[in-house]
Formats: sequence, C-alpha cells, structure tokens
Amino acid sequence: MTAATSSLGGFRRTMERFPFLPALLILVALLALNGFYQPRSVSFVGITGLLKTYLALMMLAIAQTYVVYAGDIDLSVGAIVSLVNCTIVVVMQQLGGDTLSVLSAIGIGLLVGLACGLINGVAVAAFRLQAVVATFATSIFFTGVALYVLPVAGLPAPAAFWRTYGGRFFEVPFVFFAIAALGILLFALVRTKLAMQLLAVGDDAQRAFQSGLPVTAIRIKGYALTGLFAALAAFCVTGDTASGDPLVGGKMTLYSVAAVVLGGTALSGGSGTVIGSVFGALIIGLINSLVYFVGTPSEWQNFVQGLAILVALMAGILVRRGIRS
Amino acid sequence: MSKLKLSAVSKSYGATAALRRGDLSVEAGEVHVLIGSNGSGKSTLCKIAAGSVRPDAGTVTIDAATVTISGPRDARALGIGAFYQELSLAAHRSVEENICLPDLPIKSGLFVDRMALSARAAKYIALFDGVTGEGFSAEAIVGDLRADQRQLVEIMKTLATEAPILIFDEPTSALDRSQVNRFFEILTRLKAEGRAMIFISHRMDEIFTIGDRVTVIRDGETVGTWKIAETSQAAVIGHMIGEPERPAGPQAVAEPAKAQTDAGDALLSVRGLSGPGYSDIGFEVRKGEVVGFGGLHGQGQSRVLRAIFGDHPVVSGEIVLNGRALSARNPHEAISRGLAYVSGDRARDGIFKGRPIIENLTPIHYLVRKVVLARPAALRAAATPAVEALHTKFESFGHPIDSLSGGNQQKVVIARWLIDRPDVLLLDDPTKGIDLSAKADLYALIGRLAAEGLGIVLYSSDDAELLANAHRILVFNGGRVTRALEGADRTQFNLYQAAYEAA
Repeated sequence: MTAATSSLGGFRRTMERFPFLPALLILVALLALNGFYQPRSVSFVGITGLLKTYLALMMLAIAQTYVVYAGDIDLSVGAIVSLVNCTIVVVMQQLGGDTLSVLSAIGIGLLVGLACGLINGVAVAAFRLQAVVATFATSIFFTGVALYVLPVAGLPAPAAFWRTYGGRFFEVPFVFFAIAALGILLFALVRTKLAMQLLAVGDDAQRAFQSGLPVTAIRIKGYALTGLFAALAAFCVTGDTASGDPLVGGKMTLYSVAAVVLGGTALSGGSGTVIGSVFGALIIGLINSLVYFVGTPSEWQNFVQGLAILVALMAGILVRRGIRS
Repeated sequence: MSKLKLSAVSKSYGATAALRRGDLSVEAGEVHVLIGSNGSGKSTLCKIAAGSVRPDAGTVTIDAATVTISGPRDARALGIGAFYQELSLAAHRSVEENICLPDLPIKSGLFVDRMALSARAAKYIALFDGVTGEGFSAEAIVGDLRADQRQLVEIMKTLATEAPILIFDEPTSALDRSQVNRFFEILTRLKAEGRAMIFISHRMDEIFTIGDRVTVIRDGETVGTWKIAETSQAAVIGHMIGEPERPAGPQAVAEPAKAQTDAGDALLSVRGLSGPGYSDIGFEVRKGEVVGFGGLHGQGQSRVLRAIFGDHPVVSGEIVLNGRALSARNPHEAISRGLAYVSGDRARDGIFKGRPIIENLTPIHYLVRKVVLARPAALRAAATPAVEALHTKFESFGHPIDSLSGGNQQKVVIARWLIDRPDVLLLDDPTKGIDLSAKADLYALIGRLAAEGLGIVLYSSDDAELLANAHRILVFNGGRVTRALEGADRTQFNLYQAAYEAA
C-alpha cells in the first residue's frame, strides 16, 4: 500500500510541478520528424527562422496563460496584437523612423497593451461580465480602434525596427537574445506573488476570497499582464512582417488558447506553467512546418493541420497516462 | 469587556432568513462554543464575524469599538482569523503554500520568499507532528491529501494568521481522536495566551472537553449563553431543540433492534478483496443487517466502499451481490445492480452545486428507470416521499441546493437513492458535519430501511454512532480488518483498543 500510494503521489507531484512534460516530449518528437523530412529545418538557420516566425505566438500564449491561471480567458489578445501593431507602426512613421522613434513606439505600444488589459480586467473582474463574452466584445472594440488608427493594411515599419528583429549581434541572431531575455523574465515572473495568487484564485475564487486575497484586484492584474505580453507579441509580429495590419492578430487568439492547453495548463484554472505554453506554441509552429515539409497539397493543408493539433492534444493525454503506468 | 461582540446581527437570502437575531460575546482567553442544529445560523454568524458575509443589520464590536467588516481581508486586518467548515484551500497548491497564502512572505517587493514561506509553514506543521498521517508533508499537494489532512492544513492556515480572535467552524469533523487531542492541546495553549476563540462542533464530548462557555442558537436566534461548568449535555440539547431537558445525547441512543436477520443468503458478500490502500477484506451483509466499519480515519474503510461501488481499483478478490458476481468498472454498473453509495464529503461527491434541489434529487431515478423525458410534476411526485421520510427542510424544489444547510443537503443526497430502492446501501461517514437532529433523523431512517430488508454498510468516524447503529463492527487498521466486534464485544473499549493497536 505504502509503495503504491507514494509512487502515485510522487507522480502527481511531478506532474503538478512539471505539467509541461508531455508537451516537451511531443515537441522533441515533432523536431525529429521535421528533421527527418527536411534536415535543413533543424539546422541553425532553420531553428532561427522557426523562432523568428513563432516568437509572436509564444508571447501570445504566455499572455493567455496568466488569465487562464485565474480561471479566466482573454479572447481579445489577437485584437490587442493588431491594435499595438498598427499603433507602433503609425507612431514610428510619424516620428520619422529613427532609433528614438522606435523606442518611443515600444513604450507607447506597451502602454496600449496595458490599457487594453486593464479594460478587459475591469470588465470581467470588476463588472463581473462573463470572460468569454466580455473579451469577445472588447476584441471587436479593439479591432475597431486598430482600423481607425490604420484603416488599410500595408504601412511599412521603418527599417530600424525590422532590421533589428531579423538581424544579428556578435554573429548571434537577435531572436536568441529576445528568447534569453524572455527566459529571464519568465523565470522572475514565476516567482512573483502575483503568479501564486492568480493560481490560487483559479483554484477556487470563493476560497481565495475567504483566505483574504483581493480577488478582483488579482484578476485585473492578470489581465493587465496579459495585455503587456500581447504588446510584446505585437512587437514580434511587427518585426516579422515589417508592416502594419489592423487584422493581423485576429486569427492568433485561438491559437494562443490551443498552445496553453497543449502546454498542460488547465483551462479551468489553478494549475499550469508558462513554459508549457511556450512549448505549445512551438508545437503548433512545428506542426505547420511539418505539414509543409511532408508535401501536403495546399488545399489539404488546413485539414492536416487541424488533424495534427488534435493528435498532439491526444498524445499529450496519452503521454500523461503513460508516465503514470 | 468582550473581545468580540456581535449584537442582534441578521442576514437574509431572498425570502429565507439565515440568521434572524444573532448575539454572541466572546472574551479574551476563552474557547466559546457555538452550538445549534444545522440551518440554525451558526455558520452565518461566524461568516459575518469573518467578513465573508455582510450582515443586513446589527453591530459588531471589537474591544468595545464598533467596526464594519467589509470582507475577509478587512477581518484579518482587524485581527480575526477563520477556519471555514468547507475549507478555504487551493487544491493545486502545496501544504506550505496554502498555510501562507493569505499573507505571502515577500522579498524585493515582488517575489515570494520561498525560504521564509517554508520556515513559517514548518512552524505550524510542527504543531501537528506525529498525527498528520501518511503522505503528509510541507510539499504535498493539498488535493492529494485525505479529508482529515486537508482539515489539518486549514487549521494550520488559521493558526498562521496569529490573529487574537480565531473562529473555528467545525474544525474537527474529519479528524481522528489523536488529531483532535493535539488540536485541543494547541487551543489550550492559545487560551493561556489570551486569544478569543469561537468553536463549533457537533460532538458533545468535545464541546464539554474544550469549551469554557456555550452559546446556543436555534432557528436563527440566539437562545442564551451558559458556562460549560454549570450546564449539562442534556440541558444544552434541550436548549437546541427548544424543549426542556430530555436525556437524548448521542450516547444514549438505544441499541439497534436486531432485525430478524433471516440467516438466509447474504445480499452482499465480499471475499479477499484487495486493492490500493486495503487488503484481504472479507465480510457478508444479510438482509436487514447493518454492518459497521470502524477504526481511525483513512484506514481503508472509504476505499473499500468505493471499490465495491466501482469507484476505486480492485486488484484481487470477489464481490457477490444477490448471488451474482459483481465487478463494477464504474458506479453506473454498480447502481444498475442495486447498490447505493453516500459519501460524507457532500461538496465533492454528493451535491450538484448551484443546481435546483429537484435536479439533485433525481439523477439516480433517471439512471435506474432509464428516463429520457420527464414531466416536472411527475418527478416532484416521485421525489416527495423520499424527502419527507427524512424530514428535509426546504423552500421549494426549485431552490438551489446551496440554499440548504449541510444537514439538509445530505438529506437530499440520501433521498436521491430512496426514490428507487437499492438492495444495499453503502454509507461512507454520512453524518460528517451534520447536526444532532439531522443525525437522529438519518439513523432513524437507517433503522427503518434495515427493518424493510435493505443491507447496509455503515462507516462512521463517530464511535458512539457506530455502536448505537451497527449490528456488527469490523475495525479497520492499516487497510485490513483487524477485529470483528459482535454481540457482547461491541463495546467502546474494544473499539478503541482495536483501532489504536499497532497494525
């Protein structure tokens, strides 16, 4: 009895601490498959390209994770990406496109993301609107503002911006510095009081309230953090596409939710990791490139992509069971 | 001067008055017992003091100064710490994180100071050293713990507030004797430190062991306050039920009538049953027999009941129900073969939270009768005799289950099984945290059902209840049945001895 219960407890504790393990295994498997069908895809250049393209989704998946921690959801993250993308491109163009204008655009972009997050947080936590519907509504609202800021897609971002994003420093591509900085940031965020409070709220909001936690403030802070990370995602999108597009982020929203779930975070709140969401985003990226590398006809690509994400979700559950037995 | 005083506080939810006129005055350095049947308003009174419920009227004073407690945070700032009956723990967080959650130690203004957190939690975990049981550690995930261990974590969390006023709303309902004893030692120490404590329990012996004064509350109104030393159990029960003294403590319940157990075939027979957490269990239940499971908490009683019900793995052994082998892979199969299971953990296993009472009454009816479409009137008609048999108090079938007190919720859960009679009823500590009158109703019903020919397996953490209601008691120790008590052996002494001896 002792051995059985303690090994089961040990497993649960491992999974509770590292819920992203299945995602990591799937990620490695996908990397191997990509390498098998297209050896160049796992080369230094190939990985750099993958990270450059999917850094935005990684950021957005992280953004989504913080609200999901608290049992909430944010369906406006994609619209925030669009709004920040348009805002910074317009700001940089107005200010002349030099380094100073890039830095001020980044500052303004973060403020816009934060403001969007606060609007969502107040709507959901303070006014107690349903998170799914409220953030769906704000997503339409944010898209509307983005269309006002930049009515037509295609305004180019200044070269200083995208050259930096796509460039190299000391022979190392910029995205690796970005990933390193992100790693340090996440490492710090995991240790914050806010992260633990968000998880406690997601576990059971009423119990967290009875424990004396300021539940409403915590949920609003969660949405604010989500807004900030959505702004970071917008910077990556802008660096990658080198232009402004008021509809660029829309389709990314549900990908971010999928990445969170693939990463082992519970949509019901209370348990999960941000690193899992990063893996989830990479899984989606690798699936998309794999579908291309195996030579799927273009009209079948969506079909196969969808199927592959379902398989990855299922594999995650099977891996979890596999570890248990 | 009272440390904490609530005067004429009231609270209504819609048309239902949860508390009509609550008065309570607690001194520093006393354990003040609050007692009343379920639904009498004790929990509401405590929640008002703890800030999680705002009163409609009345005043609250602390050290003679009138205060407004606008939320649990406010209560903490005013020096009130609360143990919640339904617990306030985060299931995915560890024990130490839960203990420190209300006031996380911080470094650099932003980060959780893990070292300080572990150190602070360790201080409170150490208080229960030796009685926490297997699988308990500072890093254990709370959701993995047994009910009694979770209750200990909630106690530790409450103690960690170091508040001068502590409210304990049924802190001992899942604890075993050694855990209760340790908790009482701690309370005695806190009393000496001058803390003011409110203590709710349904166990009379506990109340008279630890209490200094007792306030009785009945139907939402405070009846009065007495010194424990100057009153008696019978007097307190009299005040609770609103009748002059009558000798009806739980200890005084009559021996169960030995129903004519027609030594015929066993309804349920279990042989050599083993699985995770229990091994080599064998027993038989005949028609009209109440078989009791006894022993300390978490010795496998619950697991065996769940295993029979198809909700816990079975590795080896056989179960025969009505002469046919039963190997239920899930509760659905067990139910369709005529088994019923009632858990004491109603919040987790019993009720559908937030749903109307009628929906909470009828799921088994739907399942057993394979109902696809039903008329509400027909459902109500089917459910009415079952709820009436248990004297369930409720406004209407449409009210949410949460509007009922714990005891009435449990009655609804039990009534659900009585619409279509099962053959064998498995009761897994069914009276946990429910009041004396609801317990009395419940045991009267169990007696009636047994007399009508049902086979009943009863696990109870209350030894007195077990002795009063079970014909035969199997004492569990370390996942095995170490002793079977029958006839003249069914004594408190034997029960304790078998439960406490090393497995």
